[in-house]
Amino acid sequence: MSKCILIVEDQEDNRTILRDLLGKAGYDIIEAVNGEDGVALALAKRPDLILMDIQLPVMDGYEATRRIKANAALKAIPVIAVTSYALSGDEAKARAAGCDAYVAKPFSPRQLLAKVREYLPS
Amino acid sequence: MTALRARVDKAVAAASTSLRSRWRDVQASVPSVGMSWRNAASGVFLWWRKLAAKIRSARAQQTGGLFRKYASLLVALVGGSLFINACIEMYYSYGERREALIAVQREKAYGAAAVIEQFVKEIEGQVGWATGFLPSGSGLEQRRFDFLRLLRQAPAITEVSYLDGDGREQIKVSRLAMDTLASGLDFSKDRKFVEAKANKRYLSPVYFRKESEPYLTLAIAGAGHNAGVTVAEVNLKFIWDVISRIRVGKAGVAYVVDERGLLIAHPDIGIVLRKTDLSQLPHVDLARKRLRDANIDVPAISRDRSSRDVLTAFAPISTLGWLVFVDLPTSEALQPVYESLRRTIVVLGVGLGLAALAGIWLAQRMAVPIRALAKGAARIGAGDLDHRIEIHTGDEVQRLADSFNEMTAQLKDSYATLEQKVTDRTRELSEALDQLRALIGVSHAINSTLDLQAVLAAILANACRLANAGGGAIYTFDEVSEEFSLAATHGMSADLIETVRAARPRLHDSSPVGRSTSSRSVIQVADLAVEPASPLREALLKADVRALLAVPLLREERIIGALMVRRHQPGTFDQAIIELMQSFASQSALAIQNARLFQEIDEKSRQLEVASQHKSQFLANMSHELRTPLNAILGYTELMQDGLYGELPSKVKEVLVRVETNSTHLLGLINDVLDLSKIEAGQLVLSSEDYSMKNVVDTVVSATESLAEAKKLPLKVEVSDDMPVGHGDERRIAQVLLNLVGNAIKFTDAGEVRIAAKAVDGTFSVAVSDTGPGIPAAEKGRVFHEFHQVDSSNTKTKAGTGLGLAIAKRIVELHSGRIWVESELGKGSTFYFELPVRTVQHEGIA
Repeated sequence: MSKCILIVEDQEDNRTILRDLLGKAGYDIIEAVNGEDGVALALAKRPDLILMDIQLPVMDGYEATRRIKANAALKAIPVIAVTSYALSGDEAKARAAGCDAYVAKPFSPRQLLAKVREYLPS
Repeated sequence: MTALRARVDKAVAAASTSLRSRWRDVQASVPSVGMSWRNAASGVFLWWRKLAAKIRSARAQQTGGLFRKYASLLVALVGGSLFINACIEMYYSYGERREALIAVQREKAYGAAAVIEQFVKEIEGQVGWATGFLPSGSGLEQRRFDFLRLLRQAPAITEVSYLDGDGREQIKVSRLAMDTLASGLDFSKDRKFVEAKANKRYLSPVYFRKESEPYLTLAIAGAGHNAGVTVAEVNLKFIWDVISRIRVGKAGVAYVVDERGLLIAHPDIGIVLRKTDLSQLPHVDLARKRLRDANIDVPAISRDRSSRDVLTAFAPISTLGWLVFVDLPTSEALQPVYESLRRTIVVLGVGLGLAALAGIWLAQRMAVPIRALAKGAARIGAGDLDHRIEIHTGDEVQRLADSFNEMTAQLKDSYATLEQKVTDRTRELSEALDQLRALIGVSHAINSTLDLQAVLAAILANACRLANAGGGAIYTFDEVSEEFSLAATHGMSADLIETVRAARPRLHDSSPVGRSTSSRSVIQVADLAVEPASPLREALLKADVRALLAVPLLREERIIGALMVRRHQPGTFDQAIIELMQSFASQSALAIQNARLFQEIDEKSRQLEVASQHKSQFLANMSHELRTPLNAILGYTELMQDGLYGELPSKVKEVLVRVETNSTHLLGLINDVLDLSKIEAGQLVLSSEDYSMKNVVDTVVSATESLAEAKKLPLKVEVSDDMPVGHGDERRIAQVLLNLVGNAIKFTDAGEVRIAAKAVDGTFSVAVSDTGPGIPAAEKGRVFHEFHQVDSSNTKTKAGTGLGLAIAKRIVELHSGRIWVESELGKGSTFYFELPVRTVQHEGIA
């Protein structure tokens, strides 16, 4: 059974790219467009990994990550932050919120795939 | 006094010492009593010393100079004249006395000499008469008869004899022995015979018989051929009688010496019998010489045989060659002179005493008023201007004292007015000082606080105090509504404040504030009670205000407001107060204007801050918005290149590489602008963590290796092995190095690029060298400026934002480091940067 990855991303293009990239790589993809939906979907579907954008409408990625990590059922799911805040301190903030890894935008699909594979070895 | 004090001093000291020693024993058993006694003894001693010191100082203070001077002068004058008088008197009295005595003595000497000469002559005559020629034979008896008669007639002759022409004694008749006739004794060789034959007469030296009577042998030769010689032995007792009878004073004597200087007659026969030779006495010697030479002077004062000073006179007995002297001891002769001298001394003493008494009395009379004058002058000099000198001598001294008193009175008057003047000036000065302090206080308030309310309150309080006003207010002017509103009040009740607020003075109304500002001059109301009625007037009168002063607050002819002070007493304000209020008014205007300006500046800076925040926010949003589509472009491009969407023709692949390159460049531009804007806005936060400079270098090398390889440039690295662990923002430091290495590779076409890193004294020192075109000297400083690239035309092909070095510089500086370049045109450049190994978090980064 293929692994399930939850993509929380408000940008259509980014979602498409991730979906194309990871789908082609053999993962099941579920998507949410804001933090709140992301948390809800994670609860519902229990994905194997979450790619979390930070700048999100309704609820930002930090908050969503905090909630997921606060939930005992979801706590074990690795969360990789994907952010365009490519400045010092962002990574620290992301880690403080509970993110397991951090990928700065613009990300290279190849690098991202490599990072995902670190957490979901086949 | 001194001796007495010394004695008492000594006695007291001795007493206290003995007391001390005596009580030392007692002290052993009863220490406290001993102590007290010892203290008492010391006390007495100290008391005496103090007293002595007081007496000493009192004596030292006693001037007495004038008194002493006058007294001494008088004594000297009287004493001196008496003394000189006495001296002259003595001198003459002595001389006269001496002359008189000498004359008397000489007289006596001459008298005696005459008597003696007469005596000898008589004897001689008688003997001569008895020497007449007598025939031999019968003549012998006759001669005897003659001789007997001679003896009878001349008692002084004791023996007479006759020698014939051959010197044989014919007859000798004596009172003492038997007469001898024709004894025939041969005297032909005898001096008396020989000399008498030769000189007709012979006088023998005096000789003595019976050891007591002086005798003289007189021999006279008779006349005619072969005449005989009569020899008579003459008793000289008569001369002795004559001499003895001469009385000269008490101790004076007369005496006779013969031509050889032998004493032959003297009242003391003993001396004569001893055959005293007086030829050695100076006056005897000289007198003998004078007999032969009349030019020789014999002194009137000489010494006798006993070496006593004597007054002496003499007379010669020329026929005999003898000398009669009369001597009187000087001591006796001058006795009256000495007595006179004694009397004179007594008189001199008495005179001096009287002179001293008179001098003291006179000096007292002269010195006492002068001393009183001096004492009074000293008291006046010491400042006792009420003192008056009391002298009633009726002379110049009194006039002087009167002048002193007048002068003192005038001096007192001058002092009194002077004191008044000083008091006045002091008051004026203290007022001025007060005003100055108030003004300084106000200036201080203006400068030290931006709280306009506090400043105006301070100004108003000072203004009211100095204007002696019970209350006051400062109004500010609103240029739009032309109304005045209260900005500060002092000594006003809430009711009054409310009334004034409600009255709302306007620019051109009739209120004092309105009038003073519209006329731009000071308006004062001396008595509010006589002013036209108005609600404000009633309120002020109710608040017990009677007079007021309104001063406009102006700033370059612009009305800023007004200052008002109010008094409870009617009356006009002094010009000095008005001027003072004007300066308070200008201070108030300044404060208000400053406050307004400050408010404006504050407002502006707030706006600027907001604008700046907007700008930063905008830039941040913008870059995010810009990067989002770029992410999509780059993502899709990569997926396409990776064949995710199927195999692509090679031409399309080429184009995709171009798309990727351009997108990456655009992303770099956006990132740089974002970085710079963040730095500018002070929003760049450096992370603070440990890092390894070696890792930084390695990261940069691995990121740029491919670039260098593409240009066939060797990338050489020299990193010390023993570099310490650094502390700072690793990613940013890597960004700096990446920029430098990237530039070096970018601008170098041949040669090499070299990276060197080391740590010295707590500082990382990193150098990036290239063999590129180099940087002109004029450009070196500017390469770190934003949007600057060396020789833009030439480097157009070298794609770059021109922001990289500017960002690098800021990052290095945020790490408290420095960055610089050394370059030689045509040979290459070396960029250096230094960072503290451990960077303390730079403040102002938020």
